[in-house]
Amino acid sequence: MSQSLLDVRNLTVEFKTQEGIVRAVNNVSFSIPEGKTIGIVGESGSGKSVTSLAVMGLLQKPAASIPQGEIYFQGKDLLTFSEAEMRKIRGDQISMIFQEPMTSLNPVFKVGEQIAETLRIHRSLSKKEAWEKAIDLMNQVGIPDPTQKAHAYPHEMSGGQKQRVMIAMAIACEPKLLIADEPTTALDVTIQKQVLDLLFKLQQEYKMSMMFITHDLGVIGDIADDVVVMYRSNIVEKNHAKTIFESASHPYTKGLLACRPRLGANPKRLLTVSDYMTEEGEEKKIDTSRLTVFDKEILTRDSSSEVLLEVKNLTTSFPIKGGLLGRTVDQFKAVNNVSFSLKKGQTLGLVGESGCGKTTLGRTILRLIEPSSGQIIYRGQDITKVYGEELRLLRRKMQIIFQDPYSSLNPRMTIADILIEPLKIHKIGKNEKEQLEMAKYLFEKVGLKQAQLSRYPHEFSGGQRQRICIARALMLKPEFVVCDESVSALDVSIQAQVLNLLLDLQEEFGLTYIFISHDLSVVNFISDFVGVMNKGQIIEMDKASKIYQSPINDYTKTLLSAIPKGGAFQS
Amino acid sequence: MFQYILRRLLYLIPVLLGVSFIIFILFNLVSGDPSAVLLGKNATATQIAELREQLGLNKSLWLQYLDVVKSAFTFDFGRSWATKQEITYMIKQGAYPSLCLTLPAFIISTFLSIIIALIVAYYRGTGIDLFVRFLCIAGVSVSALAYILGFQYLFAYELGWFEISGFEYGFPDFVPYVALPGIIWILLSLGPDVRFFRTVILDEIYQDYVRTARAKGLSEITVLLKHVLRNAMIPIITYIVIQIPSLILGALLLESFFGIPGLGGITLNALNSSDFPVIKAMAILTSVAYILFSLLTDILYTFADPRVRLK
Amino acid sequence: MKKQSLWKDAFYRLIQDKWAMISLIIVSLYTILAILSATGLIASDWAREVGASNLPPSSEHWLGTDLFGRDVLTKVIHGSQIAMSVGLFTSLIAIPIGVFLGAIAGYFGGWIDDLITWLYTTFSSIPNIMLLISITMILGKGLFAVYIALGATSWVTLCRLIRGEVMKHKEREYVQAAGAIGGGHMRKLFLHILPNVTHIIIINTSLQFQFAIKSEVLLSFLGIGVQGEPSWGVMIDDAKLELARGVWWQLAGATVAMFIIVLAFNLLGDALRDSLDPKLKGK
Repeated sequence: MSQSLLDVRNLTVEFKTQEGIVRAVNNVSFSIPEGKTIGIVGESGSGKSVTSLAVMGLLQKPAASIPQGEIYFQGKDLLTFSEAEMRKIRGDQISMIFQEPMTSLNPVFKVGEQIAETLRIHRSLSKKEAWEKAIDLMNQVGIPDPTQKAHAYPHEMSGGQKQRVMIAMAIACEPKLLIADEPTTALDVTIQKQVLDLLFKLQQEYKMSMMFITHDLGVIGDIADDVVVMYRSNIVEKNHAKTIFESASHPYTKGLLACRPRLGANPKRLLTVSDYMTEEGEEKKIDTSRLTVFDKEILTRDSSSEVLLEVKNLTTSFPIKGGLLGRTVDQFKAVNNVSFSLKKGQTLGLVGESGCGKTTLGRTILRLIEPSSGQIIYRGQDITKVYGEELRLLRRKMQIIFQDPYSSLNPRMTIADILIEPLKIHKIGKNEKEQLEMAKYLFEKVGLKQAQLSRYPHEFSGGQRQRICIARALMLKPEFVVCDESVSALDVSIQAQVLNLLLDLQEEFGLTYIFISHDLSVVNFISDFVGVMNKGQIIEMDKASKIYQSPINDYTKTLLSAIPKGGAFQS
Repeated sequence: MFQYILRRLLYLIPVLLGVSFIIFILFNLVSGDPSAVLLGKNATATQIAELREQLGLNKSLWLQYLDVVKSAFTFDFGRSWATKQEITYMIKQGAYPSLCLTLPAFIISTFLSIIIALIVAYYRGTGIDLFVRFLCIAGVSVSALAYILGFQYLFAYELGWFEISGFEYGFPDFVPYVALPGIIWILLSLGPDVRFFRTVILDEIYQDYVRTARAKGLSEITVLLKHVLRNAMIPIITYIVIQIPSLILGALLLESFFGIPGLGGITLNALNSSDFPVIKAMAILTSVAYILFSLLTDILYTFADPRVRLK
Repeated sequence: MKKQSLWKDAFYRLIQDKWAMISLIIVSLYTILAILSATGLIASDWAREVGASNLPPSSEHWLGTDLFGRDVLTKVIHGSQIAMSVGLFTSLIAIPIGVFLGAIAGYFGGWIDDLITWLYTTFSSIPNIMLLISITMILGKGLFAVYIALGATSWVTLCRLIRGEVMKHKEREYVQAAGAIGGGHMRKLFLHILPNVTHIIIINTSLQFQFAIKSEVLLSFLGIGVQGEPSWGVMIDDAKLELARGVWWQLAGATVAMFIIVLAFNLLGDALRDSLDPKLKGK
């Protein structure tokens, strides 16, 4: 007991909302020994962030209340501390880093100042001393040229660098406990790995305990000693990391572990949490037929089928304005001389980090963005020069599903209206009744209940909204669908459900997909062919299995090595 | 940086031309020929023709427009119809009294508003917050006229604490004349200013970086005064600077009621005597001032906000 | 889960705010009074001499009489007609212009945007008061001139707001999606974007209304507004001479009547802003 640095007992946190009292955290207990890392895993809304905020004493008091529980830090109950006492601890003994590096730093102060500030409050260093130490810290967290960079403002740094600055601020006073709330979720895959490695290294050096919060069990596998799994405000399982990965006991944990697409395994479908567990939390017997694995090498989709889409030397550039009168001084090539071909029924995966041009490529193919040069040949016809009514007709064949389920549906239209709209535009269906029937059909195909057609987007969850977007895309019976980071904004468990849905629909309707994502595991799971993009160009393209087993390009190798190996424990 | 200023200056030109055009349309086109009115009923045709020549009304419309544009640069507005004085001279005379009233009142009210807004932001959600907000809304809803009439009657006339009207040049002689209108100005400004500053400050308080600052162990007051305020100052400065041109106009009503011979009073007199050239001149003057100050605001903005700061 | 649109959601929230409800009732009351007065059903006899001049408030004349022996309360009611009409006509002029220009500027960008931005920058460079005074004077004073002047100055704020919102929404994925399914510009702008900025128009109108009322009072007070009939501004203008003689009821009547409706619009505007802010994220 006395070895535990942090000992949370029976913690319950409630919030007063318009709908009444909501229990965000329910009777949660766990402890973190000195020098160890505990991973707290759960979906969004499971209560994991709220728990960490409770430890820091950062919950907004009038709305939030802690009716029960104790948080023992080095033997003393933090919940009995006064605000002044908590302030001494925050930033000094317990530090926290947050998820959004973009907005977590004050935009009007230099980063060096912001790091130094922590030192000046807790260690009473002089301005000069604190600045020197800040530079030293920036060096420790791997920011190149720290003497110069300390004078930089947050907006002048990349997401990864900003996160390093946050880490520097957090370790400045050598805290006993570092709380990291989804610190890598908003970062690119290669940067994620760097930040994780950094955290691990610092933890060893400073002998800190770490509380790492994430929705991705895979990430945890690499760095956590113990794991706590939360579901709907409760802890459903807690154990040593090795035990959890090798022999998890709770169905939810098993579901979480199983639903992550893994490189090297080639399941036909992903298992999802709902395969393991009912809504109420009871264990289900797994339907073994769902465990079919198939070898992508052998079961290539029909290679003799026709070429549906061919892209030749496609370039999309955007003008860069400058000079006195705002003239165009240069062109930025978001998509640079890209070529490939895609057969009917296949799935091409486009993978790359943010800014590589994959989204621009997807939208250019659909003519949502105008290409600057090159050809897009669809069923033998070059569609780059098609306009007006002809272009409109083309739209029936090619559709897109966007990334953000929260902004891709008009908040002021009912789902029924949203689904019927494409039919109205193209004058399909004799009357509204018929159109409604078509909408109902697809609505149920994507797994939603007909009765909800008259509801509004904000009444649905992220995963459900994405299903509605899929239904909308299919209303016109397209042949070809671009999935633009369509699962990236979803929790891992929901992601698996939507991926399965996409595969089912592809089989049923004979669809051809271009699947765009920054997540190599997901792309690998769903695609037949994978194109790796960097700086507007496809630097490597091959069969999905080949890319994984024997990547040629260095960049591809970097991408692959950055994937968390946490899944390696899975049976 | 230099390029940016140059670019903004360049943009001023079409705006200035546009403003001149509107003023031209209003005063030269729509308002009709004043010569007959000015000379009275018994004017002869020759007299009218002479006056028209004098007033430059015979020029083509295009030239009249250019005259308006020119006056925006030279500040030569001709003569007042009522007083026959050179308008430029009148303006110079009127500037001093106006500023004696508006400048100190403006500075005091701005400081007060920021301080009150900070206090209200600190106590957000509590009774103090609601009370102050209600006061602000109520204050804004009362007509300025009521304030002026009421206060003047009560404090100057009945209680005799302040001078009722008039003005004396030189400090501190002008103080008793300027004090009551100044107080009224402050009261009138507090309402809208506090509401705006409060909104701006609260927008910042809910940002992520404030959570980070708290996580570092900073006290709520430090967070407010150091982190939040610095960010809030960006829109606040913009808001303040753009009000400065209005100070020139003085407080139209206040000057009129309290007999202060400032620009506001001049404008009102011109209004009463349909003295178009003066109104036109004031319109041009204040517009030019506004345009220049909005340029100043943009430049200040680039200094205040490092995200916009150009290398 | 309750089955409701964002509008219904906002409506329920609004109903729960008691100050908003009070304001709404006050606005309705004034509207009814204004309509009754305008159609001549009440207060049409404001010019009639009903008693001795400058009588203080009594049970017969709740707000007393003015210099000409006319009933002050009747004049106040007539003034409400003028005030509400000013708000109404100003909105009728300002809203179509502001929304149309703002929408096409924000949506199409390019030279259209440059042109419209130049236009509203120009208009807003002339201080409001000057423009109001200038226009009203030149159009020959009177209520009609006030309508035009206020309309010509009020469209600017709305235009700016709408332009900003349309620019934001244009990039949102639901608008892109409308394009992907084959929708054209008109559909995107009118069926998708505009319904999502309507709340701004509503909030802005509420606040513009109170500004219009205050402006009319000011202009009438200065003598260039309403002529020949009693508006609150005219009454306050009359009142300034009476005060010295201890006659306060005309000032009080007009000021309080104005205070209440302006306060109501302000409170309503704030409440509308709080309830109509769309929770796009719904998290």
